[in-house]
Amino acid sequence: MFAFTIRRLLFAIPTLLAISFIIFAILDLAPSDPTGNLPLTISPEVRAQIRSSLGLDEPFPIRYLLWLKQFFINEPLNLIEGWTGWTLGDGERMRVTSWATRSPVVDLIIERMPQTLWVVGMSQVIAIVIAVPIGVISAYKQYSWFDQIGTFVSMVGFSIPTFFTGLVFIVLFSVHLQWFPSIYDTNHVIDSWDSFVFQIKQMIMPTMVLALATAAQLSRYMRASMLDNLQQDYVRTARAKGLTERVVVMIHVLRNSMIPVVTVIALNIPTIFGGAIITEQIFRVNGIGQLLIIGIQGADIPLVQTLTFIFAVLIVLFNLIADVLYGILDPRIRYE
Amino acid sequence: MSEMAPIKPLVEVRDLTMHFDIHAGILRRKVGAVKAVDGLSFDIMEGETLGLVGESGCGKSTTGRAILRLYDPTAGSVRIGGVDVASLGSADLRRARPQMQMIFQDPQASLNPRMTVGSIIAEPLREHSDMDRAARDVRVRELMDAVGLNRAFASRYPHEFSGGQRQRIGIARALALNPRFIVCDEPIAALDVSIQAQVVNLLEDLQRDLGLTYLFISHDLSMVRHLANRVAVMYLGKIVELAPRDALYSDPRHPYTEALLSAVPVADPVVEATRQQIILQGDVPSPANPPKGCNFCTRCPKVMPVCHEVSPVFVEHMPGRFAACHLIDEEKDASVLRENKNDNVQQGETQ
Amino acid sequence: MKKIGFLMAATALVAAGSAHAESHEGRATDGHLNIIYWQAPSLLNPYLSGGTKELEASSLVIEPLARYDETGTMVPFLVDEIPTVDNGGVSEDLTTITWTLSEGIKWSDGTPLTAADAVFTWQYCTDPESGCAQLSNYNDVESVEAVDDRTIKITFSVPKPFPYGPFVGAQSPIIQAAQFADCLGAAAPTCTDANFAPIGTGPFVVTDFKANDVASFVANENYRDPMKPAFATLNLKGGGDAASAARSVLETGEFDYAWNLQVEPEILNQMAAAGQGTVVSAFGTSVERMHVNQTDPDPELGDERATVAHPHPFLTDPNVSRALSLAIDREILVEAGYGSSGQPTCNVLPAPAIYASTNNDWCLNYDPDEANRLLDEAGWVMGDDGVRTKDGERLSILYQTSTNSVRQGTQALVKQMWEEIGVETELRNIDGSVFFGGDPSSPDTFQKFFADIEMYTNNFDGTDPERYMGNWACAEIPSPETQWQGSNMQRFCSEEYDALVVEFGQTAALEDRAALAIKMNDMLMNSGSIIPLVHRGGVSAHSNTLEGVLMNEWDSELWNIADWTRAE
Ligand SMILES: Nc1ncnc2c1ncn2[C@@H]1O[C@H](COP(=O)(O)OP(=O)(O)OP(=O)(O)O)[C@@H](O)[C@H]1O
Ligand code: SF4
Ligand SMILES: [Mg+2]
Repeated sequence: MFAFTIRRLLFAIPTLLAISFIIFAILDLAPSDPTGNLPLTISPEVRAQIRSSLGLDEPFPIRYLLWLKQFFINEPLNLIEGWTGWTLGDGERMRVTSWATRSPVVDLIIERMPQTLWVVGMSQVIAIVIAVPIGVISAYKQYSWFDQIGTFVSMVGFSIPTFFTGLVFIVLFSVHLQWFPSIYDTNHVIDSWDSFVFQIKQMIMPTMVLALATAAQLSRYMRASMLDNLQQDYVRTARAKGLTERVVVMIHVLRNSMIPVVTVIALNIPTIFGGAIITEQIFRVNGIGQLLIIGIQGADIPLVQTLTFIFAVLIVLFNLIADVLYGILDPRIRYE
Repeated sequence: MSEMAPIKPLVEVRDLTMHFDIHAGILRRKVGAVKAVDGLSFDIMEGETLGLVGESGCGKSTTGRAILRLYDPTAGSVRIGGVDVASLGSADLRRARPQMQMIFQDPQASLNPRMTVGSIIAEPLREHSDMDRAARDVRVRELMDAVGLNRAFASRYPHEFSGGQRQRIGIARALALNPRFIVCDEPIAALDVSIQAQVVNLLEDLQRDLGLTYLFISHDLSMVRHLANRVAVMYLGKIVELAPRDALYSDPRHPYTEALLSAVPVADPVVEATRQQIILQGDVPSPANPPKGCNFCTRCPKVMPVCHEVSPVFVEHMPGRFAACHLIDEEKDASVLRENKNDNVQQGETQ
Repeated sequence: MKKIGFLMAATALVAAGSAHAESHEGRATDGHLNIIYWQAPSLLNPYLSGGTKELEASSLVIEPLARYDETGTMVPFLVDEIPTVDNGGVSEDLTTITWTLSEGIKWSDGTPLTAADAVFTWQYCTDPESGCAQLSNYNDVESVEAVDDRTIKITFSVPKPFPYGPFVGAQSPIIQAAQFADCLGAAAPTCTDANFAPIGTGPFVVTDFKANDVASFVANENYRDPMKPAFATLNLKGGGDAASAARSVLETGEFDYAWNLQVEPEILNQMAAAGQGTVVSAFGTSVERMHVNQTDPDPELGDERATVAHPHPFLTDPNVSRALSLAIDREILVEAGYGSSGQPTCNVLPAPAIYASTNNDWCLNYDPDEANRLLDEAGWVMGDDGVRTKDGERLSILYQTSTNSVRQGTQALVKQMWEEIGVETELRNIDGSVFFGGDPSSPDTFQKFFADIEMYTNNFDGTDPERYMGNWACAEIPSPETQWQGSNMQRFCSEEYDALVVEFGQTAALEDRAALAIKMNDMLMNSGSIIPLVHRGGVSAHSNTLEGVLMNEWDSELWNIADWTRAE
């Protein structure tokens, strides 16, 4: 398994380089202009100057190589300096800098990690906590009223877009009941019980909106996987052994059913880092999803390029993790 | 097989019925039922092997599972050693489980892929005995020896074994709790021919050594002939004929049995040359929607008008021989035959 | 001098009806203020970003010498009086202007504001490598000198009848030389800290800045008025969309002020009915207008498509254009798409009031009969299929604009209205970033104008229309020779107009300038090359507990935030 992992990691390097080039090329071809959103009162000459100050005058290969250097050499060096306090070289490295904010992209990403992880990450956790039992019970009591309702709710969760659930939540809980804030305060610091309660309050709506959508999907996976396993002979074997139903379901069936679900969850993790563009917008969580969409709208190419590339890395990485997990969970799978 | 076969039934099945509900529509409402098993009544004598044959989908596995309460039967009773397992509460049922076990058709699928062989075999011991870990290990090794598995393999996973070895694991697992009655659901169907014999021999040896009673499900008529004392023939959820092995093979009474047997090649080349195969026309009807009257009436070569109207009764037309066919009801000499052959039939089981 | 300036500002406030402005007890006594800008600022240095959101957010911190008030009148901020020719601040030959800083103004770090900071600001923005977005404010500036610590002398290379480009209005604030000293030219983007938290003279100081998310401020201890600002702390949150920003003020009451509420009028009215807040609007110079192509966009012309070499087959006839204009019911367009943020207009230069013409108001009167008559007269005969023709040419128009729901709504309405007078209309919308993107290789830019009519909004900064009216000089026509750059989209060209442009540049007296502007506006209107539709304003909302808001389209909306208070 170790050799397999190392080999896959090595293979990932050329893949990712190719991906980075493709992303760069696509962004370059896209007809977007970082000065496109400026008021029309700003003259074309000034726009040209702005573009040239952003380095857009350079030819494509130079810009790509520059980005590679900034991302693969300068940023890691900078991180190492930050962690260790050493000074490597002259410290005057050009980092990957966003055009709109003139701030290093990596700093922007780090700034947005807390709310992204709190809200999107927590929503995944909650989704799992909701989805697994629902999936298990639905499958175990297939076609019971519980299953019917579960099926209906997850159909609803699937088909109703988050912007709608988000809006409904806001109108209900913020406007009418005034229970929860409709706008997420990213500056909020947790330093007391009350501030913790506030954090929970401001997380509830965005987290639930996301969790419902994810849980709808996940509970279906769980249900399908459970159904698959419940019909297997080994379950009959377990029953024939005279085990209690609880042991049969929780130990034998659930453990086996979790294998595909765990990999689905692992493959979902990059989307946590990718944020949840729509939900973040609605509740102004302003996490990484919002950063990306703003970058796209403002043609902030270094930002979009870097974010997309990081997603690509995460996706490749978590694909590998999913494979490895599968190998660990399922003794039938062996990677040589 | 055994020298002194007691004639006492170990398993008494009465009116066993297993219907699977069919759900459809958005609300998955019940719209009908698959009559997988429809009112079976028969006994399995202590120490005997009852063969259960029939085409694929006729309800053999369902019968086996319903008998072992792996399904909750829709109706009917199953007494095993005098206890009606069909109506036991879950706690009592669990306590009754050790005496009845099952060996499955697909040895791979019947073993939990995430458990080692050792823990698969030991699990029922943990549940039903107060053996400590060491004692369990001893017993596991014993069982592995008994089925001819290398005991060093206890810590391996099922997928690391060959098909035959896996079936041995399944058998060892079934034997762990010293059952009296084992349902063998096509235990060799998934195995290579060369290995089939080994496993069959193992089952025979175990039966002899441990005094086991088998319900041996198969669609391989030759294998059943080799193994079984008596044979039941199933068609579309019902047993159409049940008789001692030799009687059934030499003198099938039900048209379906006749057709089945006519398809089996015979070892004797002379007989084989004259063998008249009865080709059945049409498809097996759906068990969700069986025909009116006799279940076999859509394909029966001897079908009569009454067959489309009235369902034939499963009767003991001769001592020890049961069948469900209007032809047999009409046999006027049935009583004579019964008197003459009564002893023969009963003796026939005991070779 | 100082007192007078003070008095002036105070009078303006009282006159504007903010009687409560006096009621608060002093600096930082009114607690916290929550503002939402659904488009969040990405930095607080307006020189590195031309966006309105950055301009407005930075106006909390950095200030120009003078701002425009809600009526478009200049008011002194860092000076005691506005230099004019009359008071000797502007030289007779109109080439220099001399500003004198008020006494004792300090940066928020406690150091004094000096003329050198203004000089530095000019150098910062005009450095050729900096990519300064506000460069146009320093057009024709030859030098900026610090005559002494408090005296700034700006010399222009040409006579400037309106010398208030540099250091006036939100686009041209003064930044601190000490803070930005290492950020000149190519180094400008590396100064992230300074760009995120500039030191200013304004009422607030940045304490934390999260790009595109939220900025936090506290009251500036060194602010020149010891009683202001009333709020101790301020949060400027961003993200989301306009409708939910409106909701947070009008319905949930979580925020005190929301900016730029481009929301369907119906929805906004519903929210306002909740009674938590008030919708306010103000009108500047933005006009949603149609440009009527004077050249032929026929693709068969190849490289000469939409160039002056080929006049448009029928749109050069002012009567056709007039008919099109008369056939549009502007009231309906406003009602459907703009609500309180729009008013029908017939001028491309609708404000300030002294520049606004009243000679074109015929267009306010929706009159399809007259439109039909005009077309009949021009020889366009109604065909059987309801489309007019003339000499085999169908009266068929390709009408393009940027992708935006309000614009597509307007397009659909106009198409219907035009159908009634026998004009066939084909609609087209193009993604804004392409349409306005100006990429010379794209056929879909508003400069290339490969259509008969195109619609968008334009405006000008500040109050002086000189540069804006210069947009329609012949030399401004985009063409292959200019790499399709230029602002005269409709390709209007008139020697007489060009002469007026030159004259405008030489006229100093305000009344004369107003008369010229009106004349130029009317010329454009009579040519039929522009059909103005809607005078667009900004719409914001503030909580009913917030007082002192004076909605302003001429400067930052937050221009007078030092005077905002919390109602008791
Ligand atoms: N859980 C179930 N739900 C619904 N129908 C079922 C279920 N199990 C079996 N059936 C149906 O019942 C009938 C009998 O199935 P069963 O598995 O008992 O047949 P079988 O005789 O064992 O066939 P084979 O020789 O192929 O194993 C079939 O028509 C099958 O489709
Ligand atoms: S009852 Fe009729 S149909 Fe059924 S097996 Fe007998 S003869 Fe055939
Ligand atoms: Mg079967």
